[in-house]
Amino acid sequence: MTRTKIDRRRFLKVLGLGGAGVALAGCDLPSYATLEEGEEQIFSYLAPEEYVIPGIGVWYASTCLQCPAACATHSRVREGHALKLEGNPTAPLNKGKLCQMGQAGLQNHYNPDRITRPRIAGKDVTWPQALAAIKQKSGANLAWVTGTISGHQRVLLETHLKASGGGQHYVLETVHAKSWEAACTDLIGVAEPALHFNKAQAIVSFGADFLGTWKSPVHYMTQYGEFRSTPRGVLTVIEPAMTLSGANADHWVAARPGSLASVALGVAHVLTAEHHVSTAGLPDGGAAAITAMDAPQVQLLAGVDAQAIKKIATTLMSNHPSLVIADGDYDDCAAAMLLNLMLGNVGATLTPGVDLAPSRLASKGGSSKDLAIFANAAGAGNIDIAFITGCNPLFTAPNGLNMKQALGKVGLSVAVAMFEDETVAACDVVLPLASALEDWGSHAPPSGALLGEIHLQQPLMEKLYPDVMGLGDVLLGLAQDAGAEGLDQFEDYYGYLRTAISAMIGSEIEADWNNVLQAGQIAAPIMERTFTTAKPITIKTPTVNPGALTLVTTARQGLYDGRHANLPWLQEAPDQISKAVWDSWAELHPGTAAKLGVKDGDYVTIQSNTGTITTRVFTYRGVHPDAICVPMGRGHTNYGRYATDNGVNPLSILDVSIDPRTGELDTTSTHVEVRPTGDNRHLARLMDTDSQHGRKLVATITADQFRRNQGGA
Amino acid sequence: MVPARPKRRPFPRIRTIMTVGVIGALIVLGGQILDRELQGGESVMSETGPRVPGAVFPTDQFAGKDVPQPINFSHKIHAGDLAINCLYCHTYARRSKVAGIPPTSKCMGCHTIVATADERPEIAKLTTMWENGQSPAWNKVNDVPDFVHFTHERHLQRFLFDNPDMDVKDSSEVCAMCHGDMVEVGVAIKMRPLTMGFCNDCHEENDGPSECTRCHK
Repeated sequence: MTRTKIDRRRFLKVLGLGGAGVALAGCDLPSYATLEEGEEQIFSYLAPEEYVIPGIGVWYASTCLQCPAACATHSRVREGHALKLEGNPTAPLNKGKLCQMGQAGLQNHYNPDRITRPRIAGKDVTWPQALAAIKQKSGANLAWVTGTISGHQRVLLETHLKASGGGQHYVLETVHAKSWEAACTDLIGVAEPALHFNKAQAIVSFGADFLGTWKSPVHYMTQYGEFRSTPRGVLTVIEPAMTLSGANADHWVAARPGSLASVALGVAHVLTAEHHVSTAGLPDGGAAAITAMDAPQVQLLAGVDAQAIKKIATTLMSNHPSLVIADGDYDDCAAAMLLNLMLGNVGATLTPGVDLAPSRLASKGGSSKDLAIFANAAGAGNIDIAFITGCNPLFTAPNGLNMKQALGKVGLSVAVAMFEDETVAACDVVLPLASALEDWGSHAPPSGALLGEIHLQQPLMEKLYPDVMGLGDVLLGLAQDAGAEGLDQFEDYYGYLRTAISAMIGSEIEADWNNVLQAGQIAAPIMERTFTTAKPITIKTPTVNPGALTLVTTARQGLYDGRHANLPWLQEAPDQISKAVWDSWAELHPGTAAKLGVKDGDYVTIQSNTGTITTRVFTYRGVHPDAICVPMGRGHTNYGRYATDNGVNPLSILDVSIDPRTGELDTTSTHVEVRPTGDNRHLARLMDTDSQHGRKLVATITADQFRRNQGGA
Repeated sequence: MVPARPKRRPFPRIRTIMTVGVIGALIVLGGQILDRELQGGESVMSETGPRVPGAVFPTDQFAGKDVPQPINFSHKIHAGDLAINCLYCHTYARRSKVAGIPPTSKCMGCHTIVATADERPEIAKLTTMWENGQSPAWNKVNDVPDFVHFTHERHLQRFLFDNPDMDVKDSSEVCAMCHGDMVEVGVAIKMRPLTMGFCNDCHEENDGPSECTRCHK
């Protein structure tokens, strides 16, 4: 192709003519070319309520099911469509707030990849055909595999199991706090004490991302707001890789993965040795562990220097009351609880909290323990029929659990799901599930955040697809088929739920039911808990292998454990730490990256004993030099158009190492080999630089000035 | 020996661009003239024309096409012959940005008693839909692009409810400012251009707001 030389005269001619043409065309286009006439359809209501006016939104109360926290929501509905989700301002749990995962609940509902028809072996069938296939297997060894479940859905699920002659209920959650609960049970006799971040003057978190994903983050965020108002509380976070909570901390300390217990014990050591805090009230085994953990030991095990430990101890001593929380293995959590006991926080910022009097309505939280147990039971051929809903074990299970082969040995696997994912694709029968915006339900927040309310979920609009069915309806139908007593009178789950709620509020009057729906919550009967004295404990110190890289798979508020990877809003929302979008990355300390000879954007293979993943490096100082952090959530092989083949799944290459005291998978003990592949591609990040390049877009002061003026740590 | 290729004449780039430009300009101009004819003439505002006291009444015309509807609803019978107030059926217009299609329950309120399914085949269609729990899927006749924020409520407030010389029973006169004399037609057709120019002319004459963001939110 030859290049035509354009001189100035020719350029001006073309510019003038082109400009005149554009101006002529753009000034006043013929109206029939732009205006719509008979292009769109408009549907009228059949018989609307008086208050429903087209063009004006009506807010309905419901419940968010995007994570186990079960926040109360308000949803704006206009012309029969849910358009916006917000927190319910009258709910004590989340006080009108809703996180980005909750906001993105709309995209779950309107997602184009939803399952719309029942399927058997991948082929569309009718509901009667699907139910007939299930009925053939009824009465055999039955299992329900779910995510966190509560309220009347849980009651019906357990009724179904009982009516079917027993069976197991496995509750799976990758993001859980079971180790914390085990430590709390041993040390204060209450598994999930109520935490009062707003009453603390100092918070020390050992790896618990309470602002992002830990337990009930929106509830804690509202408390955190109060904690940070005058007088401003001090936040210290110790963790192997920075989380959202860590990014908000006044004092952030990087600790070697799996070594948080030694840091907590090290702080306790300084408190006893230098601040003369008594260890008299601690359980057997506690004081001994503290005495053994002196500064050199902490340095050796956790890679945290004495000065940082002293600073944390000083913060705790000068800010009363404080609150120490932890997320890790049992040792980490138990060591953190020792600090609470020593500092007198138990009773002040940790209170026993309440239980729901109808205990079957309480939130049944999941864990990785059930993941391993389910894999073993299924793999041994002990399950004839498994109903799977609200979880994706094929994605969240490490390769070492051989979940795919195990699921293949289940006689009949039935998925009750909105989307095809790795697990659903491997199931024999698929029942299409209604979205959270189309369904009835009742939900209890996790018991640590329970304030005595149960949240009601009501349909915000008609079902988008006629063949989908709500979870409650599926459970009720199965329980009725299994011959459960007392359920025959109910035509549908709405009837069941309304009867149950009416009994709880002691009224069957229509107006009272409407009031409950309008409020979106009811006060449930509760029982006060009490603390008990601590049991003897043993805290193991980690074995360290300095220099060996450990894989850290943190959960981020957004894609969470991978369940939200099919929501474009959350894929495109920049990660809280790296600001990356739409792809995975591996966070490495710049020093470690230099040792490995890699730089930003370099592809590396991360190899564990059970598998290899390949992703790009993002160097960041918020990572311990012995850690490589690959956030979980991406790497789906079958999860709709937005998630499939996007990024890598670090959960798959975790070693299967089980903590004998809790039965949970130890997620901080996977050592990996990291090798560059030689490829490099720029990682797409919303904020590509940390520098303001002298433009003063955001006013800043130095950390020292801040500490002096604002009272920071 | 390979014969030398005849030298090509250079492509007359400028001349082509100019020719295409002139043809394009003629098409645009022609389109506009055609459009004016379709609309029924120049933009005209009339103070003596029909009939909203205190307002300059737009009289632009638009020859809208026939838009097929699931039921041949006649505005002439309802709003003309029977003189039912527009706001009786389009009750949302005074309260919302959209006038809305009346709910089927409102239609059935009358048509279970008068002009029932037995008497009128078009009503039989409606009754069948009602009994099946379906709404008719009407095709939108008057529409503005999604980037235009138009509110019926505000316009009715200005010309009808806040207008001391207007009686609410004459609401059809206010509706006619943008929709033409619907009382004269059967199935709805578009009778006003509803272009930005049309809106602008009226806003200028009647002291309506002129900031861009009033309509383009």
